[in-house]
Amino acid sequence: MKRLFLSLILPVLALPGIASARDLPKTPLPSYEPWDEEVVHTFENLLVQEGGRVKPLYSVARFTLLQYSGKTTAAFQTADGVDHKLHYAEWLLNVLFKGEVAKDLPVFIVDDSAAVVQIGVSPKSKRDRYSYNELFAGRAKLAELSAQFAEKQKKYQESEKDPQFELGRVEGMILTLGRNISSFEYLLGQFGFARKGELIVNENILPDELIDLAKRLDVVEMLNKMPEMSINQLMQAISTPPGSSQDEIMFSGALRLFFFHANTARGMNLFPPRETDNEVWLSASDLMIEALGDKDARPWAGEQLGKIQSLVDAKNESPEAFAKELTEFSKWQHAISDPRGEGLHSDLEVKMYRGKYFMNSLVCFIFAFVVMAFSWLTPGSKIGKTLIIVASLIALLGLYFNVHGITLRSIIRQRPPITNLYDTVLFITGTAVLLGLLIEYFTRLGVGTLVAILSGVLGMFLSMKYEAKEATDTITQLVAVLDTNFWLATHVTIINIGYAAGLVSAIIGIIYLTGRFVFMLIGRKSKDFFKTLTRMNYGVICFCLFFALVGTVLGGIWANYSWGRFWGWDPKENGALMICLWTLVILHGRMAGWIRDLGVHMNAIVLAIITTFSWWGVNNLGVGLHSYGFTDGVWGALYSTWMIFGAFMLMGVIVWFRERQSKLRKKDSSKTAETLPA
Amino acid sequence: MRFLPSFILLTTATMLVSCGDSGPSGAQIVTRELPGSHQSFRLVDSSAERFRYQKRDAATAAGATPASTAPDLVYTTPEGWKEQAGSMMRDVNLTFGDNDEGECYVARLPGAGGGLLANVNRWRTQMGAEALTAEEVEALPKKPLFGQPATFMTVDGDFSPGMGSTEVKKNHRLLGLILASEAGAVFVKMTGPKELVTENEAAFDVFTSSLDVSLN
Amino acid sequence: MARKPIDWSPSNWPKLLYQFFTSFKVATAVFVLMTLVTLLGTLAQVDQGLYAAKVKYFHSFFFTDKIFGIPVLLPGGLLLMIILTINMILGALVKVRKRWRGAGLLVSHFGMIMLLAGGFVTWAFATDGYMALYPGMSSNRVESYRDWQLEVFPLDENGRAKQSWILPSDELQSIRVDEQRSYDADGLPFHVIINGFTKNATPIPTASIKSSSGKGKEIDGFKLVPQDASKEAEQNLPGAYVAFDPDGEGEGIEAILWAGSYRFDPGEDPMPFPFTIDGQLYGAMLAKKSWNVPFEVRLDEFIFERHPGVSTARNYESRVTRVEGEKETSLEIKMNEPMRFAGYTFFQESFGPSDGKPGEMFSQFAVANNPADQWPLWSLVVTTIGLMIHFCVMLVDFIIRSRRKTAAATQS
Repeated sequence: MKRLFLSLILPVLALPGIASARDLPKTPLPSYEPWDEEVVHTFENLLVQEGGRVKPLYSVARFTLLQYSGKTTAAFQTADGVDHKLHYAEWLLNVLFKGEVAKDLPVFIVDDSAAVVQIGVSPKSKRDRYSYNELFAGRAKLAELSAQFAEKQKKYQESEKDPQFELGRVEGMILTLGRNISSFEYLLGQFGFARKGELIVNENILPDELIDLAKRLDVVEMLNKMPEMSINQLMQAISTPPGSSQDEIMFSGALRLFFFHANTARGMNLFPPRETDNEVWLSASDLMIEALGDKDARPWAGEQLGKIQSLVDAKNESPEAFAKELTEFSKWQHAISDPRGEGLHSDLEVKMYRGKYFMNSLVCFIFAFVVMAFSWLTPGSKIGKTLIIVASLIALLGLYFNVHGITLRSIIRQRPPITNLYDTVLFITGTAVLLGLLIEYFTRLGVGTLVAILSGVLGMFLSMKYEAKEATDTITQLVAVLDTNFWLATHVTIINIGYAAGLVSAIIGIIYLTGRFVFMLIGRKSKDFFKTLTRMNYGVICFCLFFALVGTVLGGIWANYSWGRFWGWDPKENGALMICLWTLVILHGRMAGWIRDLGVHMNAIVLAIITTFSWWGVNNLGVGLHSYGFTDGVWGALYSTWMIFGAFMLMGVIVWFRERQSKLRKKDSSKTAETLPA
Repeated sequence: MRFLPSFILLTTATMLVSCGDSGPSGAQIVTRELPGSHQSFRLVDSSAERFRYQKRDAATAAGATPASTAPDLVYTTPEGWKEQAGSMMRDVNLTFGDNDEGECYVARLPGAGGGLLANVNRWRTQMGAEALTAEEVEALPKKPLFGQPATFMTVDGDFSPGMGSTEVKKNHRLLGLILASEAGAVFVKMTGPKELVTENEAAFDVFTSSLDVSLN
Repeated sequence: MARKPIDWSPSNWPKLLYQFFTSFKVATAVFVLMTLVTLLGTLAQVDQGLYAAKVKYFHSFFFTDKIFGIPVLLPGGLLLMIILTINMILGALVKVRKRWRGAGLLVSHFGMIMLLAGGFVTWAFATDGYMALYPGMSSNRVESYRDWQLEVFPLDENGRAKQSWILPSDELQSIRVDEQRSYDADGLPFHVIINGFTKNATPIPTASIKSSSGKGKEIDGFKLVPQDASKEAEQNLPGAYVAFDPDGEGEGIEAILWAGSYRFDPGEDPMPFPFTIDGQLYGAMLAKKSWNVPFEVRLDEFIFERHPGVSTARNYESRVTRVEGEKETSLEIKMNEPMRFAGYTFFQESFGPSDGKPGEMFSQFAVANNPADQWPLWSLVVTTIGLMIHFCVMLVDFIIRSRRKTAAATQS
């Protein structure tokens, strides 16, 4: 079914087609042996604590690759001419267990080749993906430059955005690349302690004698023999030169290696803590450091580290042995975490991403749009009307996918649907689609469906863009003040319904203005149709006022309950207020006779400008209590959106002007007609 | 009904006038009994203390505590020297020479930082020189640093900085000033090509004697 | 269509005024202007900070602002809200034709008037301040976030005082940098002379290079150097040159008083400027304006939790005991669960110090007293009911009309 969808859509939307038809980047790997599907499945369900919650490794893999690559697959062509496309879970499996392969996979996106030129790497095309090995020649320069730019960025923040510290475009890219490469090295080195001298990463910073020693060093065994040391003592010991005896040199070398391994094993918290009341999971590094400082912890820590050791050994032995060990490890993790009540919904989370609900939703809306477009070829005919109904049903299916995805997300984190900016995009899209379909149900003009489809396409596309841009987990933990399901479910939901209505109203306005403009150009008239559109939009604006007003006042009441003032002129509050005010302008302006049909739709677009400002703009002003979603590049996107809105309003102005002229002409001609006989 | 509009206007206007000034109006000094929790005060001797320019004990310093426990350093940058960004280990980081080949930094460590003997010898090893005995180190000359006598050393040789670098810099000179006590250790280290360092020895003295703890 | 000429005779003024204030045009104009003012006031917060923007744009009758470089005089939020209230009362409640179809609108407008009235009462009568306590401490004293007053008090040899003379904040803060004012009071054997008050200042040692920017007099090695006012008004630390003059001849004991000598944290005792006149030791300082609540609050424990492994605060809450005379009540104050008692509301606001260890941190409560505390809730209920009624009327109307249209269309 899905393939059918795609084959229908591809010719219409040639863009994705072109992108996928391009040659895949080549790697020097002679061939690539895929992992067993079962192994990948077990692997992606492993638990890890990150961002304050226990989640499947799957989510970490997804957002890590998204961050490096800007997409969720790693595609490449091996030297034998075969194309491969790795899913993110499989990619991470390679990084952790086949580091040498992972180093050759082209996953680091560089948007402008000027960035790689600056670090002394020969560029490929203007925008391309590079492998770690391809970038390695510029590693030192990259570290130096990104440290420099990080400092600059810090100054930029501290100086409250002094433009002299603002990072240039290429500088920003180098900084991001530097961070990604460094994070990749941590992943590569994650299990380095268990690999017996196969260092894979950072080998160049170890002196020769240590590389030799690394092959013989068993970290767990070494732990058991060492005296107790705090991390500070360890650092002190490795920074002071060893004595001259062979034993001292050996001990010092072993310590440095230990620290080297412990350092790169940071970040991936795979191990539930020993104590049941402790919520902080541990990484291999934490285990090593803790065991070093506390002899009593050593047997336990050794056991945990041993599990990784077994995994690495099994991988070297045979695929079957690895599959078995991995299953063991997963069972062990779940046996501990389940009673602790952690990661209970991790399988659901994997299912949610595997289900691709939001992607399917977008596909539905695009397909519905195509069907809708066909209906315009035979407007008013039976076929046309049937096509509209078909398009509505497909849009309904798209809405179903959207709602299903949102529901799963709510279940996974046990929260109402909206807890962060990404959630608002999904929710507002769903609400707008629903509104459009409801309008269609009552009016049967095809306009409601068009509104639903346009909101669906734009909203779902925005959600994907946003996810790729942020490239961090979108299921986030809440700060203390938001930790209330009651207010999240009421104020937040209601105000976002208000936003959705404001945007729907603008879409109707755009349809109206475009329609009037086109009809003016081709000299046709359809007064009734446009009158209905106006009443429709009027209804939506009332709907918007209701939800925006109730949502805003509820927000104030929440604020009064939480921190003691109903209204504080905070930017987000002001944004919501402006939405209310502008709907009131429209409603009262009509009563005052200042606004007619054209005016309602033009002002609906102004309403949308205010809504987008309130939705995205105020978060990025950098002030106030609601600054929960700082996003670079939002202002650019907002300005372009407003320009587009402005273009539609210009159409309205032209229509208005032409109409006035023709009215004046009529008046003139009637006047001359009156005067002639005299 | 007719008078209602004007009535409302009038009332609002009166309300506005009466609400223009909130709180008690008083060009007068008033007296008040102090509640039990607000009766005690800290008597200080000097304005400097009252304006928080002097060290307070940790318990009362809260609230105004800077992010790092060590106070900032103030100093005079000698002519021709350049400021570089500090780092975790370096509080002050300066370079000199046409290509910034000379380097001078200040590092502070809590605790004795490994002791005077070990540190003198660590630096000597970096220059490829023999280690000194405890008596020899004891006999090294002293220069003032933060108003206290600090051990001054100078070594010539081939400089291998360590820290992952395998590069050896030929014919270099190292000037070091170490102040080690139980409370903390301060290291000032200057390295560079021998001629350049010799030229800048006076600047080194200017710099080290200007070093002071910031009052802010 | 010929218009009737307007009757401008004075006897007709009330009617004209009435017509003006009840018109939809005024309502629309107010909404447009209010949107503009809100937008400007929001954007201004980026540069000026919340408090300054609030005062300039929203708590004002008029303000001037540059729009595309051209200075424009605009009505402030306060004026607009007053006009709106009058407009709603007269237009939507008094003048409007009473009929069932409009019932919803009538009710919702009434709800909005309640909301605005609540805002007005809050603006005029509500107080807000804070109380910060370490575990074990108790207090009945609430301090202002922004207002500073001058306090002078006789001290005993242990540095304790029972009574204090206060120059209220309104008076103190109205003194300009270059202004001199003198005060005296019964029982005070000297005049208090203030030689300029600076809203935000730092005492700098004259030995330091930075002090050259200060024009003020040097006292005990220090000069008071004015600073730019902070965006967050509560971060300003004012300072003043003060003299205590027993014989009224303009001389006397001079001092710089600085808000920074007051406490930064509830565990500290303030550091007054000590001086002796007629053998009696006095202290003088700039202190936060403060007032009493009719009960004491004791902090028993402050609990602070983070999400595992990250720095996001998950929860912070305070276990407190409220003491009214003999009666003690134990309760918890946490995010979204304030303590409401005797007209005062205590909210969990903040905690400190930033580097404090669990168990050794202080907890800060925002303390609000607002007669209109619950008005927004009631107004919301009223407005919602009104809008719901109206919305239903509209929807039914819309559906009936659309149905009729489609029916007509299919027939033809």
